[in-house]
Amino acid sequence: MITKHLSEVTTKFNPFSKQAKTCRIFLATLPANARQTMKINSKVLPRDTDAKSELKIKFKDGREMQFDPDKHSIKDVAEEVDRHSRVLNRQAELAGS
Amino acid sequence: MSPRLGICRDCLRKIRSPSSSTKRYLAAAAAATATTPAAPPSFEAQPPPIARFPRTQPPSHKPPEFRKSQLHRQYTSLLRSTPLLLLFQHSNLKSQEWVSIRRELSIALSKVDETYPQTPPLADSTKLQIIQAGIFESALRIAEYYKPPPPPSPGDSLATPSSSPESTNATPDPSNPIFTHALSRHAHDAVYKFKNAHPLTPLLSGPLAVLTFPTVSPPHLKAALSILAPDKQAGFPAPTRRASPGYYDGAVQAGVAKMMLLGARVEGRVLDQGGVQWVGGLEGMEGLRAQLVALLGAAGANLVGILEGAGRSVWLTMEGRRGLLEEEEKKE
Repeated sequence: MITKHLSEVTTKFNPFSKQAKTCRIFLATLPANARQTMKINSKVLPRDTDAKSELKIKFKDGREMQFDPDKHSIKDVAEEVDRHSRVLNRQAELAGS
Repeated sequence: MSPRLGICRDCLRKIRSPSSSTKRYLAAAAAATATTPAAPPSFEAQPPPIARFPRTQPPSHKPPEFRKSQLHRQYTSLLRSTPLLLLFQHSNLKSQEWVSIRRELSIALSKVDETYPQTPPLADSTKLQIIQAGIFESALRIAEYYKPPPPPSPGDSLATPSSSPESTNATPDPSNPIFTHALSRHAHDAVYKFKNAHPLTPLLSGPLAVLTFPTVSPPHLKAALSILAPDKQAGFPAPTRRASPGYYDGAVQAGVAKMMLLGARVEGRVLDQGGVQWVGGLEGMEGLRAQLVALLGAAGANLVGILEGAGRSVWLTMEGRRGLLEEEEKKE
């Protein structure tokens, strides 16, 4: 996953539900120095909560994405993030050259 | 394979499939052995039973030389022995950050050991280790749901010599402990139906680390939580800059930010973050003792007060009456 264009990640999940896997694996795919380059807010919900888990991503160009971890797997999330990141990559290349 | 050996294909086929004459011969030989009466045992001594595996290496479901088999054994033993286990997600911590976090943790725990000299020291035996989630899940099932059958009494084993481990491994006898250890096929079959049954199972995915304590000691848990998952509102503040300056190193701070407390297993029960904080907030044996002393002292003081009260009120009444009488005498 291309993570260099992310500026903010907000997650909220209940680890005892199966849907938390998307959020947790997304957090695990961020690089080791991610906290210096982006803002990461993650909240662990209690076990018997009714609150829905969420995953919000902001890019450096201002684009925001919101995923529903109940429906989207980590594969879908990575695909979407990469799709926009590749566009940003290309823009950066064109601007640089 | 055949070209390398230099045998032509036809010959190879002949070698592999016995010819019709060979088959006939084999059938005749089998019939002969079936019809001939068995030789008396006195002529030919029975060959000793062939050991299929050494006594020190009982058969296991997965080959024991694999790393995952040994990890499975290690996790099973860990789960059976530890009453307090915290599960953390670690997101890409560097080795330097692991080293610093472990250092701070051991410093904090040894400080607690010094404050509670009566309790056994836990700083050296508390361990923060990365686990393999899949193997840990299987080990958890074995530790929770598998009860090995009790070993047979010596009289039974003498009565059934056929179950001796040297003679056979084709029909594992469940009463023989050599076939019922945690890695055995028996154990695997017994817990297979409990897949995904344990409430801790949804936590076991992604990068995981466990912190294990040899006993449930709330003060130690509190110290560990304030290092690894500080939460000021819940009563687990991070140590102050003056108390432990090492905690504010860049590596420790970066590492702690990437650790996430997911849940815990406390004496067989599964707790979430709030539950862990509740256990950590308990006073422990020392605190309970202090509370009990305070309670008993307060009750004693109350009792003394009540008993004194009657005497004091009598004294007060008598004093008041005496004062009145003295005043009346003066007037007269």
